[in-house]
Amino acid sequence: MDDQMSRREFLARFAAAGAAGATTLALPKEALAYDSADVEQIGTFIDISKCIGCGVCTDACRSKNAARFPEPVDNIPDNWPTGTHEDWSDKRDLTDRLTPYNWSFIETVEVDGNALHIPRRCMHCDNPPCANLCPFSVKEKQANGAVVINEDGCMGGAKCRDVCAWSIPQRQAGVGLYMKLVPGLMGGGVMYKCDLCADLLEEGQPPACVSACPTGALQSGPKTEMSKLAEERAAEIGGYTYGITENGGTSTFYVSPVPFERIDEAISKRKEELPEPMRKTVPGMKPGVENFLDTANGIAAGYIIAPIAGVAAAAWAASKAWKGGTK
Amino acid sequence: MTSRADSSSSRKIRSRPDRIMRQSMENRLVHWLVALSTFALIFSGFGQMPMYARYGLAALPYMAWTADYHLTLTMHYLAGTALVFAIILHLVSTIATRRFTILPRRGDFRESAKIIAAMLGRGKEPVSHKYLAEQRLAYAFIGGNLLMVTITGLVKVVKNLPGIDMDPTLIFVATTLHNASAMLIVLGVLGHFAAFAIKANRNLLPAMLDGTVDRKYAEERHGLWYREIEKR
Repeated sequence: MDDQMSRREFLARFAAAGAAGATTLALPKEALAYDSADVEQIGTFIDISKCIGCGVCTDACRSKNAARFPEPVDNIPDNWPTGTHEDWSDKRDLTDRLTPYNWSFIETVEVDGNALHIPRRCMHCDNPPCANLCPFSVKEKQANGAVVINEDGCMGGAKCRDVCAWSIPQRQAGVGLYMKLVPGLMGGGVMYKCDLCADLLEEGQPPACVSACPTGALQSGPKTEMSKLAEERAAEIGGYTYGITENGGTSTFYVSPVPFERIDEAISKRKEELPEPMRKTVPGMKPGVENFLDTANGIAAGYIIAPIAGVAAAAWAASKAWKGGTK
Repeated sequence: MTSRADSSSSRKIRSRPDRIMRQSMENRLVHWLVALSTFALIFSGFGQMPMYARYGLAALPYMAWTADYHLTLTMHYLAGTALVFAIILHLVSTIATRRFTILPRRGDFRESAKIIAAMLGRGKEPVSHKYLAEQRLAYAFIGGNLLMVTITGLVKVVKNLPGIDMDPTLIFVATTLHNASAMLIVLGVLGHFAAFAIKANRNLLPAMLDGTVDRKYAEERHGLWYREIEKR
């Protein structure tokens, strides 16, 4: 995708930003809020047919999280022995992909001559491999459903990105815990991604992207309700859903007028045009994508069988010892 | 009650006058199952840290698979089941037959110091039971950490299951203890190998292969145990 914004896109974005600001200001705060005490997990419903690609959600996300963006040291050490490091600090203005400075973006693809705008960010999975497989468990799934990185404890090994079905978390070098230990020799930075505005959820407020959306393409609320809304909307427009079963279930439910296979193909084409390291910054949309933990969880039954077999073997061994043993 | 190894030793003594039975088939099976599964767990565990792509192991010929998290996680799970089997077999069998000769006793630290001093040429080594005091301490160290790494590992297995939302603090504590005990096991294994740098200890190596040790060695170094089985 071209990094340059077209005049039409600029006008759409400008107009939508104004509309969003006006809408947000005009609405009483209660109208956006829900009672967090009544809600266990929060979900998001994203209606692609209503997204105009204005990018206001991305802007709202950037404004809300600007204070948390990484400020690396001037001379970022290279990782030993690879001699490389991952630095996005000079690309802070990129808004067409995920970076440590851009935790949500609008993917625009063309399918059958029609442009589709798809807001992208962390899906906040039901059983998130990124959090489950973090070697130091510094990433957690909160009770409200938000999957959140503890930026103070992250070493930046980027395993979470590799095991994520969409390669969502992005790494910035030169910041974080590893800089206080043995920088260069161990660790590689800090991973960053959308946290579903967990602080706002605590207050019963929707995430910043949802509040900012001028067209109602993004909605948030109780997860079961959002999932139901997505299915109803898909039935209404004869469309397709994404995120309900993908990766074993997520908290983000997309509805599209075109099949997600087509969207995924279009995204794949864009990715192919990017150099290899950049491909990880553009998440695909493969329907039915499997959870990284499926195989391991399939073997987990072994942990019920092994102790039973152990007791049986011990009974056999002990009986032999009793028979052969002398006092 | 004495162990099967002890009881069968009299038969062995008759058939092989220079050898004496020390480790039963069960003990050897548990030892090698624990050893092999622990090596697989340490290797795959470091693969999950992640280390092998970063530090170049995956770039070596035929080693690219080490950077595959899916493979090393599957390896970790499979080796984990073998370790759980061996630990349960050992614990249940040991308790059922009351074979506690390998558990640390009061004064083991002091006695270990004497043994080490004797190795360095200071004083005479005290005569031991079936296990030297330092062997009993090493067993407790490695065994205790194996228990910790296994229990915390099982917590992590449950946490990974779909539909399980565990308290993040519990997960963090379990992971930290898992990592710490794994590192202590690595130290324990290195210490175990280092013990064989001492020539006298090498007499014990056949005990984990065919189950026997040299009779003279047993008489001299494990006199208390030797006299006990001689009485039978």
